[in-house]
Amino acid sequence: MEWEPKIIVFCCNWCSYGGADTAGTARMQYPPNVRVIRVMCSGRINPLFILKAFDEGADGVMVAGCHFGDCHYDRGNFACDRRMTALKTVLTTMGIEEGRFFLDWISASEGEKFANTMTMVSEKVKELGPFSWRQKAEAG
Amino acid sequence: MVQVNDMYYAWSPDEEIAGSGECGGAVTSIMKFLLEEGIVDAVLAVKKGSDLYDAVPTLIKDPEKIIETAGSLHCGTLNICNTLSNYLDGAKDIKIAVTTKPCDAMSIVELMKRKQIDPENVVMIGVNCGGTLPPVKAREMIEKFYDLDPDDVLKEEIAKGNLIIETADEEKEISVDELEDQGYGRRTNCRRCENNIPVMSDIAMGNWGVIGPLAGKATFVEVFSEKGADILQKAIDAGALKVQDPVPKGIEIRANIDKAMVNLANKWQAKDFGEEGGLLDIDAYINEFDRCIKCYGCREACPICWCIKCTIESESDDWVGKGEIPPSPMFHFVRMIHMVDSCTNCGQCEEVCPAEIPLAKIFHKVNRNIQDVFDYHPGYDRDKKPPLSVVDKEPSEE
Repeated sequence: MEWEPKIIVFCCNWCSYGGADTAGTARMQYPPNVRVIRVMCSGRINPLFILKAFDEGADGVMVAGCHFGDCHYDRGNFACDRRMTALKTVLTTMGIEEGRFFLDWISASEGEKFANTMTMVSEKVKELGPFSWRQKAEAG
Repeated sequence: MVQVNDMYYAWSPDEEIAGSGECGGAVTSIMKFLLEEGIVDAVLAVKKGSDLYDAVPTLIKDPEKIIETAGSLHCGTLNICNTLSNYLDGAKDIKIAVTTKPCDAMSIVELMKRKQIDPENVVMIGVNCGGTLPPVKAREMIEKFYDLDPDDVLKEEIAKGNLIIETADEEKEISVDELEDQGYGRRTNCRRCENNIPVMSDIAMGNWGVIGPLAGKATFVEVFSEKGADILQKAIDAGALKVQDPVPKGIEIRANIDKAMVNLANKWQAKDFGEEGGLLDIDAYINEFDRCIKCYGCREACPICWCIKCTIESESDDWVGKGEIPPSPMFHFVRMIHMVDSCTNCGQCEEVCPAEIPLAKIFHKVNRNIQDVFDYHPGYDRDKKPPLSVVDKEPSEE
C-alpha cells in the first residue's frame, strides 16, 4: 500500500475552520490525510504545538488563521505571525525541510483556497516522505 | 559635569586599592564609594574562591571588604545575572551595584524587560571583556604550553591578543590565536562573542586605550547612562576617584582593539556556524541531543530561564515524555522556543552540561538567525521588547 502522510492543520474557529466548512458544503475534494484541529484563534497556537505534532509522528503541519485585519480578536493573527516566523527560523536553522511547515491565511469564504492549499501541502509532504528526528538513521 | 558618552582615565587615590586592583583599581574604588555613601545597600561582585581558577559570586555590605573582590579573574565563567535574579529576588527590595561583563549586562537587561529584575535598584558597573577561560582547560594549558605549575600562577591577563601568565618569578605570554588553534584558550562562546564593551551598563571600565605614563596604572571609563554619569560625578567630587581626560590616540586604540575583537568574533562565527562547525542537518543536532541525561543543568544555569512553573518538568502536561533517557528533543525545543530570542550567548548552558552538548553553539546559531529576521539584538536597547513579546499590528515580514 502506498504511504500516506499524516498532516495536522491548526485552523482558527472564525476564518479557516469556516473555510474548511465552505469547502465541505461545496463538496470540494481534498486529500483525506489532513487532520484539522480547531482552535479559537491562531493566536492560541503555541509554537510548541507544531514541534509536539512532529514529535508525536506528524509528517507535516500547517497553521491557518484569518487574514490580517480580519482577526475576531483584533490582533491574534499578528501574534501568530510573529511566533510562526520565529518557529520557521528555528526549523530551518535545525535543518528541517521548509516543505514540512506551512503558514497561511484563509478566510471563511475561501473554501476553494482551503481545498487547494490542502492539496498542495499534501503533495509537498508526500514528496518529502515520512518525518523523523533521525532522518539518516532511519533511511540507512 | 560628567555627561553620557564622556570618557576618562580614572584611578584610585587609595594605594592599597590601586595595588590590588587591576589598572589603578578604579572599579574597586567606585564600588567602595557607592557603599560608603549609601548609594547602594550592597555590592554584588566576584571574588577569588579556593584558587585563581575558582570565581565565586559574593554580596558585600561592608565597604572594608570590597578589597576582596579586587583584581580580574579570567576563569570566572559564571553569569552573575543568575545570582541577581534567583537568589537576590531581582533586587526588588535592595539597591545593588553589580559588576558586569557584557554577557552579564545583556542578560540583566533582558530580565529587566521580562520584569524579573528591578531596573531602578540596579547599578551596572560594566567591565570590558575579551573572553573568559574554562578553568579545567586553563590548568591543562598552563602546564602544557607555559610549562608552569598552575598553582603557582599569581595573575593572568589578556592584552594585545596575548594571554599573559605571571608567577612569582617569571612571566610568559602566548598569542590567544595560537592557543585557540590547538583547542585551548578562551571558551568557545567567548570566541564568537562580538560584545566586548558593555555599552548596556551604566558605566564601562577597562584597560584598553590607556597609553602613555598612565598605562597599567589607570582604567578607561566610558559613561553610558544618566545614572552612571551621576555616580561618576559624585565619586569625583568626593575625591574617591581621580580622573583625567583620555589621550585622543588612546580612544582610537581602544576603538581599534574593539574592532579587531569583533572581526575575530565574526571569523569564529563563520567557522562555527558554517560547514566546519558540523550541525548541518537535523540528524547532527539530534546526535548531540541524544547524549542528554535530562539533568536540567542547562535550565538551571540559563540566566533567561525564569518561569516559575517550567514546561519541561510540569507534572500535568505531557510536553516531554517521562522516564525516558535521552529525553525527546522536545526537552531542548521547549527551552529554545521560550528563551532563544533573548539568548545572550553567555555559554552557561554549555559550561554546565555534563554530556558536553554544544548547547551554546546551537542556541547562538538559532539566535543569530532570529536576530536577522526581527532586527532585534538581545541585551541592548532597554525599551525594545523581545520580538515574541510584542503584539502589534505589523506583519513580521515585508
